Amino acid sequence: MLSDARFRLPLVLVLALLVHTTVLPSFRIAGVMPDVMLLLAVAAGLEGGPMHGAVMGFAAGMLADLLLSTPLGLSALVFTVVGYAVGVTKGGLLRDTPWFSVLVAFGASSAGMGLFAVAASLLGDTHVLSGHLTTVMVVVGVTNGLLAPLMVRLVRWSLAGSTPSRAFVE
Amino acid sequence: MLTSITVITLDFRDQGGGALEAVRDGARDALAPLQSFASNVFSPVGDFFGGLTRYGSLKDENAKLRAELEQARGDSLSSQGAERERQALLELMRLDFASTIPAVAARVVSISPSNFQNTVVVDRGSDQRLAVGMPVVTGAGLVGRVQQVSRTRATIQLLTDRGSSVGVRLTGSNQIGVASGAGNKEPLQVDFVATDTEVKAGEVAVTSGLQGSPFPPEIPVGTVKELSKPPGAIQQEISVDPSVDLTRLEFVKVLLWTG
Repeated sequence: MLSDARFRLPLVLVLALLVHTTVLPSFRIAGVMPDVMLLLAVAAGLEGGPMHGAVMGFAAGMLADLLLSTPLGLSALVFTVVGYAVGVTKGGLLRDTPWFSVLVAFGASSAGMGLFAVAASLLGDTHVLSGHLTTVMVVVGVTNGLLAPLMVRLVRWSLAGSTPSRAFVE
Repeated sequence: MLTSITVITLDFRDQGGGALEAVRDGARDALAPLQSFASNVFSPVGDFFGGLTRYGSLKDENAKLRAELEQARGDSLSSQGAERERQALLELMRLDFASTIPAVAARVVSISPSNFQNTVVVDRGSDQRLAVGMPVVTGAGLVGRVQQVSRTRATIQLLTDRGSSVGVRLTGSNQIGVASGAGNKEPLQVDFVATDTEVKAGEVAVTSGLQGSPFPPEIPVGTVKELSKPPGAIQQEISVDPSVDLTRLEFVKVLLWTG
């Protein structure tokens, strides 16, 4: 069963969601926790390119949205854009380095948090745009960056032999 | 992207109701057993990492608890034994406020996995007559209010959430103001108290319960911690420490009260 990406992908998504909702809320630095759902999108963009990044971003974001009280679809939109952008960035790179995933995860996660805050404020949650946002962007960037090598390996395993259409449409 | 935008639009148009909210509630109920199981499995890991990130405060707290333990040892010599301790615990659980309002006890099962919201989830929902807007308390005072409800779960917006605000009355000076959340572990900020009024540190803030207020009157909210009157300002800067330790909630009571 685990040889098929159609099972591995949902498994990784649900596992990430459970870790995100049960373990990580206790692991806060300056009141901020890592965002592994966003990291999933980043890792999929790094490993599979823009389409995988976008599809994984949408799925991870929608799952996260189901458990939040922010507008449904907001995380899905932001994570889709981030996953796609990371895939495009990776595609345009000539040479990879061991630190690349860490740096991209730092930048993309920080940008993702900023984008989320801007989008949420446009929909009426104006309190999200406060001084706290800078702390969120820095802490999520650093912690997601540190977790990136692990997440990239996990996503590499889950995506092996899959295309977005096979994994999510079939 | 189009799907996301469509979902956002539909959700925004329905304003927390409609088919999408039903999907969300259904997903929450479906995931609840899985989350509870995972929470039990992962809680030692979470506690370990939580302890690492709170090392400094845990060290201070350990020293404080040791001091309190010494004090308690001394006190216990003069106590009347186990029965008296039991009565004290029962007293702690008794609500001295809102005693005429029916309430449902609930256990906190998870903290919000969000960096922008300050909420917790409890193991009671619409099956137990919980509804959006109901006040949530402990024996020490106000915790927040119900923000979302599914059949078996409810999300509680804590007082410290940046989107939370509650009308308060300062019991010493009898001034009315609005206490807003400023984030996790941060004191509440009270607005609309004029500079020409005399407010003292240590005054207790309770819910004002004015007409239209989402909270019943006289529920303890917190204690005035600091205050200042900046030159030229038309209102005082008042910070209030919540009377309930919102970082360590285990059990709460949801008041079946909707204004």
